[in-house]
Amino acid sequence: METIIIVIFVIGYLGIALEHPIRVNKTATALVTGVLCWTLYALGGTDIHIIGHQLQEHLGEISAILFFLMGAMTIVELVDAYQGFRVITDRINTQNPKKLLWLICSVTFVLSAILDNLTTSIVMVSLVRKLVPDKSMRLFFCGMIVIAANAGGAWSPIGDVTTTMLWIGGQITAGNIIQSLLLPSIVCMVVPLLVLQFTLKGTLGEQAPEAAKKSSEQRVRGSTTMLVLGVGGLISVPIFKTVTHLPPYLGMLLALGVLWVVSELINPDMDESEKKNFSAAHALTRIDVPSVLFFLGILLAVGALQSMNILSSFAGWLDTALGDTRLIVSLIGVLSAIVDNVPLVAASMGMYSLDTYPADGLIWEYLAYCAGTGGSLLIIGSAAGVAVMGMEKIDFIWYLKRLTLLALLGYAAGAITYLLLQG
Amino acid sequence: MEILIITVFVVGYLAIALEHPIKINKTASALLTGVLCWTLYAVSHHEHIDHIGEELAHHLAEISAILFFLMGAMTIVELVDAYQGFRLITDRINTKNPKKLLWIICFVTFFLSAVLDNLTTAIVMVSLTRKLVPNKEMRMFFAGMIIIAANAGGAWSPIGDVTTTMLWIKGYITAGNIMITLILPSLICMIVPLIYLQFTLKGELGHAGSHKQETHPGHHGHGHAQVKGATAMLLLGIGGLISVPIFKTYTHLPPYLGMLLALGVIWVVSELINPDMDEAEKRPYTAAGALTRIDVPSVLFFLGILLAVGALQSMGTLNAFAGWLDVTLKDNRIIITLIGIVSAIVDNVPLVAASMGMYGPNPAYYPDHLIWEYLAYCAGTGGSILIIGSAAGVAVMGMEKIDFIWYVKRISLLAALGYFAGAIAYLLIQPYLAVHPPVVP
Repeated sequence: METIIIVIFVIGYLGIALEHPIRVNKTATALVTGVLCWTLYALGGTDIHIIGHQLQEHLGEISAILFFLMGAMTIVELVDAYQGFRVITDRINTQNPKKLLWLICSVTFVLSAILDNLTTSIVMVSLVRKLVPDKSMRLFFCGMIVIAANAGGAWSPIGDVTTTMLWIGGQITAGNIIQSLLLPSIVCMVVPLLVLQFTLKGTLGEQAPEAAKKSSEQRVRGSTTMLVLGVGGLISVPIFKTVTHLPPYLGMLLALGVLWVVSELINPDMDESEKKNFSAAHALTRIDVPSVLFFLGILLAVGALQSMNILSSFAGWLDTALGDTRLIVSLIGVLSAIVDNVPLVAASMGMYSLDTYPADGLIWEYLAYCAGTGGSLLIIGSAAGVAVMGMEKIDFIWYLKRLTLLALLGYAAGAITYLLLQG
Repeated sequence: MEILIITVFVVGYLAIALEHPIKINKTASALLTGVLCWTLYAVSHHEHIDHIGEELAHHLAEISAILFFLMGAMTIVELVDAYQGFRLITDRINTKNPKKLLWIICFVTFFLSAVLDNLTTAIVMVSLTRKLVPNKEMRMFFAGMIIIAANAGGAWSPIGDVTTTMLWIKGYITAGNIMITLILPSLICMIVPLIYLQFTLKGELGHAGSHKQETHPGHHGHGHAQVKGATAMLLLGIGGLISVPIFKTYTHLPPYLGMLLALGVIWVVSELINPDMDEAEKRPYTAAGALTRIDVPSVLFFLGILLAVGALQSMGTLNAFAGWLDVTLKDNRIIITLIGIVSAIVDNVPLVAASMGMYGPNPAYYPDHLIWEYLAYCAGTGGSILIIGSAAGVAVMGMEKIDFIWYVKRISLLAALGYFAGAIAYLLIQPYLAVHPPVVP
């Protein structure tokens, strides 16, 4: 039975990785895989009460992540509906390509530490479209946005799904991860930037007049308030956890509740139908629910493997085969450029128990760094990359030729920095 | 501190009930209430934080099992609707006799809502009525009866109604048993008002404008052309929903897994069924498109309110309240009957969650005990007494602009008659169908 379950898991995983060629949405594959793994486990003869108990424990942990994500996504969508991010992006207006690149990357880095990487890269690419009319120059900007967004998310407990998972799971603490990963993450972004500083050639290109006009569009009242509240709400989540010792999703839901109330009261003179577009209820229709269900499915599948102790025996085998956990974690990061990093991290959390590897240990922090930034190696390796690929029609091969090496340099430099600092 | 938490809960509850006058979405109030209850509980019992964390994790797992079940069900229904699958059923209804039509509509609603959620059923059936009953005055009676039938039809089915589903997911009732014991009371709950209208309903269906007969006022309005696969999706959707209780019986795994499996399968089919369409055309007809249309605010509303109820339960407040109720009112049956009536004013989901916290888990109230079955009936059908008492009612109110007062004058009495008739029917037949307590070794 165990073998069948592993086979199902592997096939499901392949189905997810080959989403586009087989034309089946990865969420559907993930859901079916997750349920089948548990079904086979339940039919395999183990006491159903034990299985029920294990499943409930996993569901509790998974939901804590999913409701956290849904809350965060809604807050970000809501701020975006008020064009709150324009308050930041409208301030960028240099004409020097290299200076602009540094500026854009730094803003992306900071923004993605607070928001999710996906939103950050979408916001920044939209901005770059306006500021960099020259197509081939813009592609470099977009590639660097992917690298900066992933690097910026890795060191922040609220910036990246995988770091958040480790934080919610209690493998890392908020203050510590920021301290130990901030510098490596910066290195991971700055190294490629330094290379481009010397090699990047070309100009930003001439701005089309209508593009310039677009920036003076009318803004809704309350965009600054919503930006401040939204960012404040997101930042308050780790503080809420520290003060109350309650899980982070509650803090996120609290922030969402407050923001929701404010969004309904902020424009009292609008009528219902006008207001609708600026309400949290509407923001909820725009959040990425398929991704939430994808995580549910794949995390359930990983949970089944964990409950059957397959993961811990796999970890044992890896340890004997490779010898060094640092090597293993580095490889996980590289692997995350091909497969989704969420199940990779979930699997690692299942492989290594908190009893043997205490919170804030090297393995967890290094895992947060590697899984967070390794995805930049390929354009399909991270949510940010996939979004940018869709928006700017960046070719897989173009990215591979022009940016993969840069990303790899940054990844390795950051990793070495972390390991040196740690020692 | 307990007093403070109860106060927060009551204020939150009031804000939810007064959603429209205070102009704050009930989901926001529910989320704030839920988080604040737990925050106050955690801050005031700092020394027991580990225990509180465990309690919370336990509640979250139970709540999520309900919410993912609902999300799965909603998505399947939206997907079938996108393919206009329900037209296969509704297109077959074409009588001109008002009374006969009313019976047909009510029975279709009753059985549809046993499979689908009440909200969707009511929306689908009211859209149909719009086409078949042009006379506004007459149509309001139809709409009112659709609410009663949708709520009655949901009560007896483990997948038909949120509250019955909650009781089923938590193991307080079993699928086969609830259907056997509640189908008759639920039918009576609908038929009594129907019989009354049989003698008192006067008027015509009215004449349809010629344009109205041709087009179907689908409630999402994305084009009227029928897509390929309507029949396949309807069969798969309903088959998938019905397979959920079977999945649970066979594997003993929680129902949400069965629902997610059904969703996964239908999702795959929805992507493969129209291979000649390109991505953009296909989008509204895939599960990803359907997911943008499901009612996520309701899901978060349930999350908030159920978290709040969970906090009260963990503090022992609900148990104490149940003890007080028992002493004051003596008889569980009276309490539950009242819960049903109260559910016409306040949401039935937290009421049922609170009742589960009050009476269970307790060996005296074993699975399929009278109180759980009766609770499923009362909380499922009591909401029909007022138009704001159920999700179906609120949706119909929005669609048909039915007045709160009009409903009170014309329908409430009928609904109350049906409610009590069904309740009496249940209490009379219960002794013959009762499940005996499991023998404790």
